[in-house]
Amino acid sequence: MIGQPVDRVDGRIKVTGAAPYAADTKVPGVAYGYLVTSTIGKGSVTAMDTAAALASPGVLAVYTPFNPLKLFAYVQEQNDERFPPLQDNEVRFFGQAIGFVVAETWEQARDAAGLVTATYQQQPPATEFPGRTARRFDEVEEVVGTQALGDITFTATYTTPFQHHCAMEPHATVATWNGDHLTVYTVSQGALLVQRRLSETLGIDAAKIHVLSPHVGGGFGGKWGNWAQVPLACAASKALGRPIKAVLTREQVFAMAGHRPTTEQTLTMTCTADGKLTSIVNDGVTSRGLGGNWSESVANWTLTTYASPNIRVTKKIVPLNLGAATVMRAPGEANGSFALESAMDELAEQLGVDPVELRLRNYATLVPNTGKPWSSKHLDECYRIGAEEFGWAERPKGVRATVDGDWLVGTGMATATYGAGRGQASVKVRLHPDGTASVSGTAADLGTGQYTVFAILVADELGIPVSSVRPELGDSTSPAAANAGGSTSTGTNGPAVQVAAKAVQTELITLAVSNPRSPFHGKDPATVVDRDGSISSGGVTMSFGTLLTTCDVGGVEAVGTSPRLVDPEHGYRSFGAHFCEVRVHRLTGEPRVTRWRSVCDAGTIVNAKAARSQIQGAVVMGIGQTLLEATEVDHATGRFANANLASYLVPVHSDIPKIDVRFLNHPDPLVSGLGAKGIGELGIVGVAGAIANAVHHATGVRVRDLPITLDKLL
Amino acid sequence: MRAFDYAAAATVDDALKLARPGSAFLAGGTTLVDLMKLDVLTPDRVIDVNSLPLKGIRLHAGALRIGALERMSDVAAHPVVTAVHPMISRALLLSASWQLRNMASIGGNLLQRTRCDYFRDVTSACNKRRPGSGCPALTGVNRGHAILGTSDSCVATHASDVAVAFVALEAQVVVRGKDGDRTIPLDDFYRLPGSTPERENALAPGELVAEVVVPTLPWARHSTYLKIRDRQSYEFALTSVAAAVDLKRGVVQDVRLAAGGVGTKPWRLRAVEEALKGGVAMERTFADAAESAVDGARPLAHNAFKTSLLKRSIVRALLDAAGVR
Repeated sequence: MIGQPVDRVDGRIKVTGAAPYAADTKVPGVAYGYLVTSTIGKGSVTAMDTAAALASPGVLAVYTPFNPLKLFAYVQEQNDERFPPLQDNEVRFFGQAIGFVVAETWEQARDAAGLVTATYQQQPPATEFPGRTARRFDEVEEVVGTQALGDITFTATYTTPFQHHCAMEPHATVATWNGDHLTVYTVSQGALLVQRRLSETLGIDAAKIHVLSPHVGGGFGGKWGNWAQVPLACAASKALGRPIKAVLTREQVFAMAGHRPTTEQTLTMTCTADGKLTSIVNDGVTSRGLGGNWSESVANWTLTTYASPNIRVTKKIVPLNLGAATVMRAPGEANGSFALESAMDELAEQLGVDPVELRLRNYATLVPNTGKPWSSKHLDECYRIGAEEFGWAERPKGVRATVDGDWLVGTGMATATYGAGRGQASVKVRLHPDGTASVSGTAADLGTGQYTVFAILVADELGIPVSSVRPELGDSTSPAAANAGGSTSTGTNGPAVQVAAKAVQTELITLAVSNPRSPFHGKDPATVVDRDGSISSGGVTMSFGTLLTTCDVGGVEAVGTSPRLVDPEHGYRSFGAHFCEVRVHRLTGEPRVTRWRSVCDAGTIVNAKAARSQIQGAVVMGIGQTLLEATEVDHATGRFANANLASYLVPVHSDIPKIDVRFLNHPDPLVSGLGAKGIGELGIVGVAGAIANAVHHATGVRVRDLPITLDKLL
Repeated sequence: MRAFDYAAAATVDDALKLARPGSAFLAGGTTLVDLMKLDVLTPDRVIDVNSLPLKGIRLHAGALRIGALERMSDVAAHPVVTAVHPMISRALLLSASWQLRNMASIGGNLLQRTRCDYFRDVTSACNKRRPGSGCPALTGVNRGHAILGTSDSCVATHASDVAVAFVALEAQVVVRGKDGDRTIPLDDFYRLPGSTPERENALAPGELVAEVVVPTLPWARHSTYLKIRDRQSYEFALTSVAAAVDLKRGVVQDVRLAAGGVGTKPWRLRAVEEALKGGVAMERTFADAAESAVDGARPLAHNAFKTSLLKRSIVRALLDAAGVR
């Protein structure tokens, strides 16, 4: 069953609207919270007038820095805000939460929020990103390596803009208390992250906090952290003795709920005359929003991609008056690969070598920065199969060589790699008298297909249909499984599901031989076989459902734990290669992606269908990253000027060609018995480079600044 | 969104009587409701005009007449429109999305407000929204803004596609007020911002757009509406060009050209039209003529590319409309 194309088990409830997302949660007596946000980019709030809001119909409370809800400092780093909201009057960025209005209806709360006025002591916000000319920066991290010279030197600088996750579901939280026990329905990439954060900031025992996040409408990193509406809804709910729902508006999501930072990379590569790299230096600069702590290690992808005796990457962090920068799908790799994959193409052209050939000449058979062997690596096969199926051999060598009507046609390729590994996870499997199994863990399904992975692995282990398995995710009372981040869900949770499913079969056999009502009572457990959902011994076969019914027990269950993989001897990554065709209009310059093929080496693929969707979704997001998406800052105010989905452009269907995806499906022998590595982020890595290279091949124009919009091609 | 009164009018007279300072007419609602949610518009009374008899698409006395309450999708699909003025249909189909086109009326489309992100954000200054408060777009984020017809008060682009086609086709609007009907050429209906960008058109308070009248022009069937944008659908134009060409033996006899995405109102390109007349329909002719399109253009920090893009768009649209390569 593993590796077959299986429909999502949660597909039907999602397309029929039955899946309960956080904002859909209906709690009797709920009141609504609405955030008031700063309208300056830097300074402090000196006074707030809440009288009109408090007198407004339906208003229950208005909280401000002058009338705050008590929240304790955040301890665990969650790549989100540095400070709990309303605990001080400093304004670090435009759109920062400075108030929280609670009213009987959402409209009343929004109306009243508009009546709150703030008086500021205002300072000019710092929002311009100077790149490597920055005079003020947090630190320089000299990451690793040395510099050396070769026969040939190539150097260039690549820049990327602010971008936003734009998950379809906005951030929403519903909090309700029963005595000193809190139940919270919220958007999250990991229920335990919410529990930990709330325990810290509310100052209560984690055991008294029940987090439910069964369905998440897209995360991409933006729902890893817990943004201002989470603690405020919970604290206000306690203070008012009312359940409270708080949903961010789209503009608020843009301003305060994280963004991909702007970056600059200056790559200097030296190589021998036959194209063997002798050194790679990547000097990276990233912005950090002063609302948060996180910054992007944009140059680090250079450490592990190509063989070179000398590799050196640096990092400079420029703090800006913006909300927190945070992880966004392949944070570091998506931007980092744009620079290195563009530079490899530029170097190939300078050398007169085919871009695939140059990558093969610098193929890293060992981890470049550690010299250790890989757990498994079939990237060369990805190049070969991708090139064959794409028709790379027919590619004209020169630029601007293919014209189709008014369209200049070019092709490009790039490498994808993303980290892999295995963390610790625990999962519970329970067998029920009706012949079904349930499987639970705190894991999250952000639309990734994790529910279906759980169902497939249980069904495979027990020998029952996928439809007989009920996966239950996103509940903090379940055993602690992996959060959805860093492409680790299947690689970490999958083995734990297998362990738990095996353990529950042992429990079942124990029941079969020990329960007096069982037809197998008294038999030697070694003679009892559990296969295809049935117990057999001595010619008697009984389905587990019938056995549980016969024994009159409510079910049997087992928790399985798969430990963290500790292997200092190997490097673990997923790999892939992208090949694409781009057309650029000769007069008006619009770049359009018209053909795509990705070949991925990500170990065992559990669900061929959802895995393909993951790569396709990542390529779609990468096309947006490369051709469309940029959040522009109005430097006078520090406001993201296009903080809405009409002006911040994500791709529409007509921007996306057919995306062919192939998985090599070679199990990784060291990562786990399952052999699965991650695929959630792999697919976006290299997309920008592949498109930039195809645009150059089509037009002869090299664009080193994302997004590649038509104005750069006129 | 602020609280407001709602009233539905059954007749045009009712609607005109209900109108008062601070009221707004509601047709499809795709601009009005959108801007009310953002607090950009805060009418205290909303007058629903959807039941008014301002409907119908017909050919009459040498003109295509479109009722102001006809929906964009119905106009785009109407056989008389596609037969007489396919340019109108094409401009409509390249606008917005199916869902919006099913709701938005033709009258409302002509009156839609700019997509300037400063206009749409109430924390920002904006001379159009709050006269005298200033224009941050002049020095701020202005890639999408206008290069033609701008002033020191406002550089916001007019957002409509179909208005560009209408201006090229010399359409007129019939507006109805308490004192009866007025018929105004659409090109004159729109005002340049000057120092009063809050006044966008010739509509007096309490007047309704009743009808759009487009003269027939047999050769304008050889036409196109070209829309250039970053993504392929559901985006406002960076540039757009409505073009119709009358050719005889490869020579331009007559031509109509108007541009969108570049002007503070739909921008008729009369100088380019004059330069084209009598010319041989070929790319070089088109490119030479297009040079005058940007006379008087005032590019800003982020939209300077529009001068080049506009000229290139004109060439591309003319090649399409004339059917030459």
